[in-house]
Order: sequence, then structure tokens, then C-alpha cells
Amino acid sequence: MNTQNHNGYMLLYRSDEWYNKLSHAELQKLMNQNKAWIESLTAQGKAKPGRALERRGAIVSGSNGRFVIDGPFAESKEAIGGYLVLDVETMDEAISIAQTSPGLAYGGSIEVRPVADECPLDVRERELAREEQLATV
Amino acid sequence: MNTQNQNGYMLLFRGNDWLKNLSSEEKQKVTDQWMAWFRRLTNEGKAIAGNPLEREGKIVSGKNRVVSDGPFAESKEAIGGYFLLDVANFDDAVAIARECPGLPYGVQVEVRPVAAECPVASELKQKAQFANA
Repeated sequence: MNTQNHNGYMLLYRSDEWYNKLSHAELQKLMNQNKAWIESLTAQGKAKPGRALERRGAIVSGSNGRFVIDGPFAESKEAIGGYLVLDVETMDEAISIAQTSPGLAYGGSIEVRPVADECPLDVRERELAREEQLATV
Repeated sequence: MNTQNQNGYMLLFRGNDWLKNLSSEEKQKVTDQWMAWFRRLTNEGKAIAGNPLEREGKIVSGKNRVVSDGPFAESKEAIGGYFLLDVANFDDAVAIARECPGLPYGVQVEVRPVAAECPVASELKQKAQFANA
């Protein structure tokens, strides 16, 4: 996949709290690496400010949001711990950048997703409208 | 949980499989509602960013930095987009999440406080404090 995408790519960090297992020295080293990594990407104009998410929160679901469940996000390997938006043109470049993330050596994974030009709902709606149109021809 | 958080909250919209069962009319209706919802929140100064994500992507993982395909298209768990909210407490964020037009169709909204700093940095500070005590 090497599609051009001028909306950029989102890196979603997925992991459990692996950093609790590191020693102070290891953690310090990783923090410095991570800081340098982000600063370098930002200086090259390739990353926009990202955010970390706290390990607490809730899931809202059901009609009118009638179910609100506190989420235990800390232990889950799949939980999203933060994100970074990359201002690069191709999926390949976004993947190459994700591969250089210092934290990967310790576990976890990074989801690389193209930011959509428009809402996929709109796109799907147009597809269906077209199908219906064809069906009536 | 009604903690104040000046860094705001993130809504993660989960579920990409619900769309396929909707008629064209229903889909148009949800789309319009969703757009109007985001516009209103933006006008009220409560939403500061938001983006849909394409139903494709890759996953990079582990020491060897292996690249694999992700199940993004028809997954219940996959993230379809997000809003970044500038509201001061968790209850406000949950109240907004409950307005999501996709909820009746099975969308789940994850509400997460944005961290003041990277949790790894907080961890480091705690360890340093402990070491100095």
C-alpha cells in the first residue's frame, strides 16, 4: 500500500503498561530517545503535536448512550496509550517512521492509519446511492 | 469519576461494521446528524479537533518491527475516528459521548482523559521521588 494521502497518517500506540517493568535507568534512556525522536520528526515538519491518554476512562454504548462502563485500560495490550499525527504523503513513509519508534523494542504495537479526506459515512452513502441508481436503470 | 482535567478528553469511536446494514437513507441521516453534531460542538468551543480515519491501515509491532495488516474494515473494535474535546470534567465528556448519533446502530464511544504529560514521564518522576526519599 503506497497510496498518496495529503491528510496525513495517524499513529495509534497500543500497549499495556509495559513501562512499569523497566528500571529507572532503562526508563530514563527510553524517555530521552523518545524525546529526541519526536523532536527530530517535528523539526523535519513530519509530526504534529501528539497526545498521551490517561489509563482511565469509560465506554459509552447503546441507544442514547444508556450504558456507561468504566474501562480498565491499563492491563489491556490493545489499549490505546496515545497518538501522533504524521504529516507525510505516503503509507510507506508513515510505516518507516513508526518502525523507528524507540518504545517498540519493549513491546506494544503501533497502528498506522490514513486520516480520511471526508467521512467514510459520506463515501459509503454515495456508493449506495450509485448502486440504487444502477438498479433502477 | 468527576475529576477535573484541563487537558481535555478524547472520544474514540469504535466499530466499523455497523454501516453495512444501513440503507442509503439511514446512512445519509446518520452522516448529517454526525456532521451537525461536530459543527455544534465546534461552535460551542467544546470540540477542538476531529478526524475520520480510513478503513485501512497497518500495524507495526515488536522488537523486529514487523508490519502486518490490521482488521480495520469490519471490526467491532476498530477505531473509525475521534474528537478532541475541550471540556473540564469527565461528566461533561461522557454527556457529549452520549449524544453520538452512531450509538443506536452499535457504535461504542471510548472516553479518555488526555494526559498532562506522557505516563512514562510520570512513572519516572515517581521513581525518582522514591529513590530520593
